Amino acid sequence: MTQTIYIHGVGAITSQPELLDGATDEVRAYQQVLVPAVDPDYKALIPALQLRRLNKSMRMALYAARVAMREAGVEQVDAIVTGTGLGCLTDSERFVQAMRENDEQFLNPTPFIQSTHNMAAATIALAIGCKGYNMTYVHNATSMEAAMLDTMLYLCEHPESTVLMGGGDELGLRTPQFWEQAGYLDTVRPQVPTPLTSPGTPGEVASEGSAFFAVSAKESERTVAKITGVKTAHDVTDMSAWIGHFLVEHGIGIGDLDLVMLGYNGDNRYDAIYRSVGEGIFSDLPQAAYKHVLGEYDTVVASGMALAVQILVHQRVPAVLRLNSYEPGRLRRVLLYNQRRGKNHSLVLMQTAGC
Amino acid sequence: MTQAPQAVVSGMGVVSAIGLTVAENLDALRHARSGIRPLALIPSVHKGKLLVGEIPLSNVELYGALGIPEDEAYTRTALLALLAMQEAMAEVDLGDGRRTGLISATTVGGMDATERYYDDYLESPAHRHFIPTHPCGHFTEQIAQRYGIRNYVTTISTACSSAANAIMLGARMIRAGLLDRAIVGGADSLSQFTINGFNSLMIYSDTYCAPFDEHRKGLNLGEAAAFLVLESEATAHELERTPLAYVSGYGNANDAFHQTASSDDGEGALLAMQSALKVAGLPPSAIDYVNAHGTATPNNDLSEGKALVELFGGNEAVPLFSSTKAFTGHTLAAAGAIEAVYSILALSEQAVLPNLNFNTPIAELGITPQTEWKATQVRHVLSNSLGFGGNCSSLVFSKNP
Repeated sequence: MTQTIYIHGVGAITSQPELLDGATDEVRAYQQVLVPAVDPDYKALIPALQLRRLNKSMRMALYAARVAMREAGVEQVDAIVTGTGLGCLTDSERFVQAMRENDEQFLNPTPFIQSTHNMAAATIALAIGCKGYNMTYVHNATSMEAAMLDTMLYLCEHPESTVLMGGGDELGLRTPQFWEQAGYLDTVRPQVPTPLTSPGTPGEVASEGSAFFAVSAKESERTVAKITGVKTAHDVTDMSAWIGHFLVEHGIGIGDLDLVMLGYNGDNRYDAIYRSVGEGIFSDLPQAAYKHVLGEYDTVVASGMALAVQILVHQRVPAVLRLNSYEPGRLRRVLLYNQRRGKNHSLVLMQTAGC
Repeated sequence: MTQAPQAVVSGMGVVSAIGLTVAENLDALRHARSGIRPLALIPSVHKGKLLVGEIPLSNVELYGALGIPEDEAYTRTALLALLAMQEAMAEVDLGDGRRTGLISATTVGGMDATERYYDDYLESPAHRHFIPTHPCGHFTEQIAQRYGIRNYVTTISTACSSAANAIMLGARMIRAGLLDRAIVGGADSLSQFTINGFNSLMIYSDTYCAPFDEHRKGLNLGEAAAFLVLESEATAHELERTPLAYVSGYGNANDAFHQTASSDDGEGALLAMQSALKVAGLPPSAIDYVNAHGTATPNNDLSEGKALVELFGGNEAVPLFSSTKAFTGHTLAAAGAIEAVYSILALSEQAVLPNLNFNTPIAELGITPQTEWKATQVRHVLSNSLGFGGNCSSLVFSKNP
């Protein structure tokens, strides 16, 4: 699929707001296994009455979407396409808990309503009055990528349209306890920035966040970057061949990439997958990581892309993200490669505007 | 886009409260046999009281029917999906070199396991292998792995329009030349979570649901799964398929009115139907039958009915229509998929399906659903799916390209 997505505005809420603002190389340090996103001043963009009714997924999405639209200078969009791995987790938990505590009687329906996975996309539609195409993908760690692929298709079909595309996930309360039981988390020595050196420790540092992009099929003076390729796969047997094939499909080779952003999260059971390509096909390239500062969640790639936009716009890779000492020259093309727990691999190819 | 090659429906499979195969579902539809009964299988205080469209097989029986080892973790949604997949995939050879994708849909996902083991997970290791099954995408991954579907695999969750949107994405990807074949559909099992959710919203009927009736009192939930095999016209031709139908149109729009309720005038539904007809290149008058969403909630049927009257240009102009929810219950994410199967049956049988439990037309609308099986010419069927968050989808299935 070759339809280029032009990004005109970005809004992101993460556990590293300063880094995403591009203002500093400093990142916040955390010594905890669950790192909440830092709440912005939601009231600046969401009326207080409305805000009170929104759970964290909904408010993060609406705020990020409004920032993206403001940056892009658009008042309205034609479609809203989103991804979320787990949806509105806290309201889901709240409703289950209420059912158990009250023996399924006299339940408040609000948490049930707001547990629905498409509530972030629906909230944005309701808030901005967008009656167009509205879609939500829920495919674990490739939910955001699915939203991007749909956006590419949509922009092929509707070349004059503007689309809000984004993804987000929230931390729950009970669910992270389940993750701990399932062995997903690094409960022994969790820290951010997460050390990525071998031998490392098993488990992830879990976080949350939301990032939205106001995009279209046409370049404008507001364009900050573009997405030229997206690919996903549940399992990959030969990673180098898979990545090589993707680059060929997009008419480029390894040498045409100026930076690769790898989804290292410090979980030594799966980081070897990144190390194999980092020391293999990407060994001569500048490399960066992003999940060691943003934490892990299904749609973290959306915030990784927001970071990539910063890097492309400012032509600078913050030191805290760098994995090797290669000094990038002109930053034109960035490839993001992500997977989670060895499954749901994705490639996202991004470029500077005008290149 | 209207000139692009259409997606052909080459196969389908369905499990619902009215049958475990397409043939069983057809037989029940033809003989007006509803699957709505008092809740029997889900552990709940509502057991024996609330009316549901439950599939009369326990999880243990489903494991057995599918040959799944008992120590593996499959939620009920996954089990129902796999049963429907067996039938849908009967004629598909995934080793034939075609680019095959899987686009599934659910709202419940693994919630039935999560609600059951909510405290247990923390106390005992016995069921912790079910923890990874909670996310909606998990059962899609299980299907993809069991069948070896390695091209594009994803999951959609847009409330009650989820599976309609999965069918739409498959048709769009085939039209765009991204896939040769798309396995599309959805599944939702009953759960305490959804039963209590709709009950708490005060839209759960205390009797058999009566779509489009003036005195309707709300919905009955159901559980189901259905998948369609969509193929490009070229692929279907090369494989010498007999097309069951064509996905000739699709549209999605948002009501942008309220979190759960549809707008009074059904604007979202109207926009979705209009864009589906536009993609199909058909005027409203070409539609012979509308398989309505028709949940039998006071709000849905009035809103959808108004949209139908508006689309067709007056209550007299509304073609034959019915809701099949009184057979199956409202099966949430699966509804768009099972009703796609029923719409295709209307084309293959050249008949309109009955709307059960109807007595009195909604005064404000003056439209009457088809209440009996009726043999008639059916060339194009419009199928609606409307959901929470204002998500409205409409599909057009056609007998001929």
